[in-house]
Amino acid sequence: MKFKKMLGTTAMAAGLCFGASNVLADGHAWSLEKAAEPYAGTTVDVVFLLRPGYEAIEAMLPEFEEATGIKVNIIKHPYENALGEQVRDFVAGGDLDVALIDLVWIGNFAENDWIVPLDKFTSNPDLADPDLDMDDFFPLVLNAFGGWNGTIYGLPVDNYSGLLFYNSCMLEEAGFDGPPKTWDDLKNVYGPALTKDGKYAYALQSKRNETQSADSFARMLWPFGGSFLNDEFKSNLMSEESLAGLQFRQDLMQYMPDGIVAYDHAETVNAFSQGDVAMITEWSAFYSTVVSPETSKIADCVEIAPEPTGPAGRKPALGGFSMAVAAQADDAEQAAAYLFIQWATSKANAGEYLERGGVPARQSAYADPALADTYKFIPALVESWQDGVPEFRPRFAEWPEITEIVQEWGTKIMLEEVSIEEGVTELGARMEEVLEDAGYYSGDKPLAQ
Amino acid sequence: MPGKVPRKTIFAFIGPSVIALAAIGIVPLLYAAWTSLHFYNLTKLKRVKFIGLENYWDVLTDSVFWEAMGRTFTLLSIALPLQLALGLGIALILHKPGLTLLKTLARLSLVLPMATTYAVVGLLGQVMFNQKFGVVNQFLSPFGGGNINWIGDPTNAFTMIIFWDVWQWTPFVALVLLAGLTMVPDEIEEAARLETKSWWTVLRYVQLPFLMPGLVAVLILRTADTLKLFDMVFTLTRGGPGSSTELISLMIQRVGFRAFDQGLASAQAIILLIITIILSQIYIRVFYKEV
Repeated sequence: MKFKKMLGTTAMAAGLCFGASNVLADGHAWSLEKAAEPYAGTTVDVVFLLRPGYEAIEAMLPEFEEATGIKVNIIKHPYENALGEQVRDFVAGGDLDVALIDLVWIGNFAENDWIVPLDKFTSNPDLADPDLDMDDFFPLVLNAFGGWNGTIYGLPVDNYSGLLFYNSCMLEEAGFDGPPKTWDDLKNVYGPALTKDGKYAYALQSKRNETQSADSFARMLWPFGGSFLNDEFKSNLMSEESLAGLQFRQDLMQYMPDGIVAYDHAETVNAFSQGDVAMITEWSAFYSTVVSPETSKIADCVEIAPEPTGPAGRKPALGGFSMAVAAQADDAEQAAAYLFIQWATSKANAGEYLERGGVPARQSAYADPALADTYKFIPALVESWQDGVPEFRPRFAEWPEITEIVQEWGTKIMLEEVSIEEGVTELGARMEEVLEDAGYYSGDKPLAQ
Repeated sequence: MPGKVPRKTIFAFIGPSVIALAAIGIVPLLYAAWTSLHFYNLTKLKRVKFIGLENYWDVLTDSVFWEAMGRTFTLLSIALPLQLALGLGIALILHKPGLTLLKTLARLSLVLPMATTYAVVGLLGQVMFNQKFGVVNQFLSPFGGGNINWIGDPTNAFTMIIFWDVWQWTPFVALVLLAGLTMVPDEIEEAARLETKSWWTVLRYVQLPFLMPGLVAVLILRTADTLKLFDMVFTLTRGGPGSSTELISLMIQRVGFRAFDQGLASAQAIILLIITIILSQIYIRVFYKEV
């Protein structure tokens, strides 16, 4: 009996080795069509945002569907609704097969076991494309957007870095031959010179939603040496550096349009595109909007630079999304979902994705220096992704609660309803309350980052 | 006994409506009450636990909750008297004899604001009150008000909310009060007008008693509507800038569906429900007493 069992085990191991060696010996044997054969007719439900990067994938999608027979059902949401819709779907055991994850949602999704670690699929030779080449992703982007606690869950799909978009015509007219290198110059030199005749030097999108937390509040903390939390996970907002950053934001408001706390991305990009504002710090994803003559009056004047540096160096805003396979999907849907994610983020498709208005996270996509002539944002983007701060906004599961607090008190500070000190004291206390409830201070939960 | 309806028939007729009411009204309410006594965050369902009245304590001691409640009552205390005054004025004008065709047209047009979806009102507001391209600033520019920042300034944004609420619901008040005025017997009104030329005296002593039931209904409905006003403000300002237009319903939605703290949001909603019931009772007791 024992002998039989041993023989069986040996035969199975031999079979596996033989199969594996077949794949390894002939890497080209793998094809998307072949890998998808068992899943033809499967429908993959995925949430997309109303942004250029998703339109690009949607335009490329027929090619995938034709090759695989897998149907991709896209459910579109504005960013503000995307988290809520997905959380409700996962809690209710709904239909979503792919999770679209903003980098600040990854801890939440991973800790709730709503998403599947990627190695479940990458270790399956039937599914994993031999050309997947994980090392080709910018390491910062892959780890920040798709990774949590050392495990990769998602592949980066819609990738952003904060960039300085400037109107070179306005700057030249005011006597500048280039953009400001430091935040200090932006405020003290460019600000007074460019704010006149109903035009403004700069606009910082600060609406009370994730924009306030990510684009406004955090953007002014890091370059000045501040941060949300210290090493013990206590509020670091009362530190000299954090206060300096927030004071800087307050002082800079004199060179921004009135009512900047009501500006979201759309208003900010629009003000820049209409020539009302000389400079904005926006996500790379909006490049196609500001350089298109259909949506921008100043398309010919647009130039891009990395975000200015502060006393602590260049700490550009980091944001973006990954797609991961949903744990609630059945085996066939999970496999089909993985094939879709792998295809959408593949090295082979990165060029077309870029052409269609997306921003891939593949290093190889930016290797050709000539691309910078067509896509002016590339050099600044690549530079930003070398030295970004993954915890630009904390990525742990408590962020949805904390961001609400930041949004509320951040805007109160900007509106001068409270002083900076009062605001950050309250904000810090409320933030620590959330972290205490989560068990970080009692040791129930390890400090996540 | 002849004519007696069998119990089965009674249950067959009433049962479905009771079951439907229980399913869509009472069960969710009980579930909200249960949730409000638990730590119940949608993103932390592994940690659901009974915490007694802790959520209620958190709500009652949270300055942000009371600020939102204060804004809601400020809106109510400004918009409701305006709606009543304007609605009564319109009702009295439409109640005057003559100009039948014009009055019919006016009555029909009064329905339009009420028939407009809240969300559409909010989106209209975004366009009309846009600082640069909005028709409101263009209209005001000859008077020196062409560059008002409506959406980005806290006071202006709140004014805008009041304007839209008054615009949308004054016609409702006018129609309800007009219905009340038509209840006044013609001979009594004519006799009163022979006695006095003062419109106020006629209104106070003859018409007002007939208006009271409608008035109480308006007070209750408009108070409840204002306390749960959400769509228009959400699409127009999303509660901003800052917290300046964050009414209580927007706050509850934010806590429940953006921070996902369903326990806290349920406690807030139940406290709001209790306040609404108390206010309705006060209206009924105070105003019906006068009648």
